[in-house]
Amino acid sequence: MNQKERRKERLDRGIKVRCDGIYALMSLKEISYLVLPRLLLILVLLLAPILIPGHYWERVLTIVCIYGMLAVAFDFLSHYVGLVSLGGAFFVGVGGYISALLNTHVGLHPFLAIPIATILGALICTLLLMPCLPLRGVYFAIATLLYPLLAARIIEALDIFGGTDGLRGVSGLPGKYTPVYVLIMAALLFIFGLRRLVNEDMGLVLRAVKDNDQSVRASGISVTRYKAIALFLGALGSCFAGAALVHIYMWAGISLFALDFSILPISATVVGGIHTLVGPFIGCLILVPISEALREFGTLRIVFYSLILLAFIVVKSEGLLNYAQRKYHQFERWVEV
Amino acid sequence: MDIAVYGIVNSISLALVALGFALVYGISRLPNFAHGALYVTAGFLVWSFLRALALNYVLSIVISVLITGIIGSLIYRAILIRIRGMAISEIVASYAIGLAIIEAFRFWGFKGMTYTLPSFTKKTIVIGDVPVDGHRVLVVVLGVLVMGSLWAFTHYTKMGLALRGMAQDERAAMMLGIDSDFVALFAMGLGSALAGISAVLLLPLGNIVVEKGYDVLIQALAVCIVGGLGSWAGAIMGAFIIGFAQIIATAYLGAKFQMVVSLLAILFVLILKPSGLFGRQKELEERV
Amino acid sequence: MKKILVVFCVSFLILGLWVSGSYAQKPIVLGLPLSTAYLYGWTAEKGVRLAVEEINQKGGVKVGNETRPFSVEVIDTRDLEPGVPVSEALMAVEKLILEKKADFILGGPVRSEAALAAMPLLSKYKKVSILSTGVLSPKYHETVAQEYDKYKYCFRIHGEAKHLVKEILMGFEELRQKYGLTKVFVMVQDVAHARAAGEIISKLAKEKGFDVKGMEVFPTGTTDFSMGLMGVKRSGAEIMNIWMDMPESAILLKQWYELKIKALPFGSTLAAAEQPGFWKATEGKGEFTLCNVVNAGNAPSEATPWTMKFYDSYTKRFGIEPEGLGASSSYMAVYVLKDAIERAGSLDSDKVVEALEKTDMEGVYGRLRFDPKSHQVIPAFEPKEGAVGSILQWQAGKRVVVFPKSIAKGEILLPAWMKEK
Repeated sequence: MNQKERRKERLDRGIKVRCDGIYALMSLKEISYLVLPRLLLILVLLLAPILIPGHYWERVLTIVCIYGMLAVAFDFLSHYVGLVSLGGAFFVGVGGYISALLNTHVGLHPFLAIPIATILGALICTLLLMPCLPLRGVYFAIATLLYPLLAARIIEALDIFGGTDGLRGVSGLPGKYTPVYVLIMAALLFIFGLRRLVNEDMGLVLRAVKDNDQSVRASGISVTRYKAIALFLGALGSCFAGAALVHIYMWAGISLFALDFSILPISATVVGGIHTLVGPFIGCLILVPISEALREFGTLRIVFYSLILLAFIVVKSEGLLNYAQRKYHQFERWVEV
Repeated sequence: MDIAVYGIVNSISLALVALGFALVYGISRLPNFAHGALYVTAGFLVWSFLRALALNYVLSIVISVLITGIIGSLIYRAILIRIRGMAISEIVASYAIGLAIIEAFRFWGFKGMTYTLPSFTKKTIVIGDVPVDGHRVLVVVLGVLVMGSLWAFTHYTKMGLALRGMAQDERAAMMLGIDSDFVALFAMGLGSALAGISAVLLLPLGNIVVEKGYDVLIQALAVCIVGGLGSWAGAIMGAFIIGFAQIIATAYLGAKFQMVVSLLAILFVLILKPSGLFGRQKELEERV
Repeated sequence: MKKILVVFCVSFLILGLWVSGSYAQKPIVLGLPLSTAYLYGWTAEKGVRLAVEEINQKGGVKVGNETRPFSVEVIDTRDLEPGVPVSEALMAVEKLILEKKADFILGGPVRSEAALAAMPLLSKYKKVSILSTGVLSPKYHETVAQEYDKYKYCFRIHGEAKHLVKEILMGFEELRQKYGLTKVFVMVQDVAHARAAGEIISKLAKEKGFDVKGMEVFPTGTTDFSMGLMGVKRSGAEIMNIWMDMPESAILLKQWYELKIKALPFGSTLAAAEQPGFWKATEGKGEFTLCNVVNAGNAPSEATPWTMKFYDSYTKRFGIEPEGLGASSSYMAVYVLKDAIERAGSLDSDKVVEALEKTDMEGVYGRLRFDPKSHQVIPAFEPKEGAVGSILQWQAGKRVVVFPKSIAKGEILLPAWMKEK
């Protein structure tokens, strides 16, 4: 230690302060300050499928979007509503199975089956999770962790929906670029929709539920009702992801309830930055391709993957987007104390 | 009669598996998702000492348990201490560590089903009219012994009292001069050693496979939830509830329902009494 | 962070250089989506590698006018691991096809669910695939037969569950004639194919006059079989028919030995008992266990002149005997494919499919032909007629083939405690 202690001081950039208010439209520079980061994400995503060489990485991008939606749903539920859900796989499974059943047994076209499965699945998930909604914190987390395990075991034990063999004959999405663009559009819609929502009146109530549910209750607002609504919204995205996955790979089986679907989105959220909604998606954009690139290492792949994940968590524990946002909005300097 | 005998065996095994996890969570509120990996580590360590280095069985067990404990504390000191208090980061980080350990074992060639440890005894004992193999009897006896000594340790030694103090109220413990970081480190080491002990006792029953790591973690979680997170006595009671539920389900409903029954049991406990059957009740903290 | 990135870039570069520039002629790429951390995965990988080395040493494959070598691309699908969704295995298959430019898919995926899920993908990219390990579900070739035009690219060169059931029943018959054992208890793992097989075998055994005492389904990951074994003991069963590929089945056999249950364990799929290391692993407690390794050549026997030649060269190359299902069949899959490519004179998928349908060659486990409708290898009990299976029994530390009679090397024995009645 030196004799003089130093401290990092952070100040908001002038342009940020100006843009926070109504003056945002004063100049082109200020508009672009606000719009550019958002536009960047949208453009990158929209152009990526055309620019990326090879069909394979395009498929990886599709998977990124699927995991991305799960991660965004997780971030929304846990950091805006306070419902830490470890059971992302449950939504995937419910959405996927409904869509597959509608397609194989009723004969609906995927473009019809997916939206129905999304809404129906979200409703079913919300209803099934209703009894757990009063639970708080870690208790809710663990209860949700059990749902996918239980669902898989029940399908296994009762031998319904094709049992452990799964459902086959699910029709795929037509067209070369259709799957990837459908998913990109859905993911963008989901992210920006939720971002808008959390800044509306309803978002205020939801955040209050997280921060201080007693005061919400004291204001005469039903906490459980708002939690249910939020759960439904989160489940919409996740069920859509599950339904889309089923049609992309033309298969549904009990491994839709696999632990990976619960864990990877959480890791992505931690890497990308919690409480940002976009961060988790960016986390997926990093983690999923890394995991694919590491396939070259065979069995060692998961070891490297875990170590990289660990490095992210320990070195940048606030998450990438939170870090980037700070750099973007603020400047830092050392001051002597 | 056979339900009683094998129910007890099953319950003690579950309790052993869960004890280490419950201890760490109880003391430092750290959900150690690398618990299963440490369990497997201990198994492979014993195997390596026994088969590759040809050491004495008892000696290799002792060394392996100690090493597992040290690995546990190192994990805490090097990584987990940096993110303490950030619940989700703790879960993801410890899970990632576990994953790395398990998959590394797989890479080093510990795969397949031929890695086994010899059982302690080859005798078969008949209790009532139920034959039980000697090793399972030993598991029960030693399991009770381990729990007993843990109880004695936490009630009659200075370190043990510090552990309990920290579990009850970390800030108050710090004010009384207990070094909370060191105690947490010690707790993590002890928890890992317990995982090692349970591995050494239970693995000779079957074979050492890396996938056990995942199963053990889920079992430990299940038991701790039913018993109440953070409560040690609760973990033991939880083990008995799940252990008997599984055996009874197998006997009357058929083996295929044993998982469904235990998972449903956990879910009901969570919904009705979130902090577990024997948890410290704080109604306002757990539900709205 | 930067350091990690640099390390990664460098390692990728090295890897890329190493992969390219090893062959002068353009090789025919064989893609292997396997769960390499599991028995059925690594046996298949070794089998394929052995065959490819042998073929390349002799010059390679004649495609029209040129000879081209084979090259092997393995991707770990992790499909047998718990907690990993099947989509992961499907990604691996797609990566083989799209990025590694695999011309043919051999081996896996290993798990039935994953293999069935991969079928639409294979037909989407029109890639010929010969399944040679793991998957026993009859659903696979039934699906091919049902929608031939869509799934005609899928072949399977190892035995399937229905034929296994026949073999097992003949094994029961032998036990009845020789030792008078008639009471059967079926124990299966809770997966669709095992459960279906268990039900079929119970039904057929009843028809043949066996006294089926019951069937117990164990969830994957069961660690204590005492209750089930007690049930077997109470029922007075004399044969325990086991369908399990989980590692915990070793616990079952140990407990069987320790409790001295008077029923002979007869494994249909019993992955734990296939490996040569099983004896040491169970400290000899697995003696008398019977187990089906699906195809000859996975355990020593003399089905054809090629069998022991394969067995010995495999042992020499890898320092370990062929360990179980997947070794001999994957080895043969490469030879069958080579034969078909040479007859077709091109790598065109449709032409190779036609050639494969006309395959008729003597292999490691008998005469190999595919059923032209279901693309399943035609099974038989005589190596001259078709692909033969193997049932082995552990006797004094060795794997002794006891069935089918045409290739048997020994007789089925009973443990001492079963003889005293």
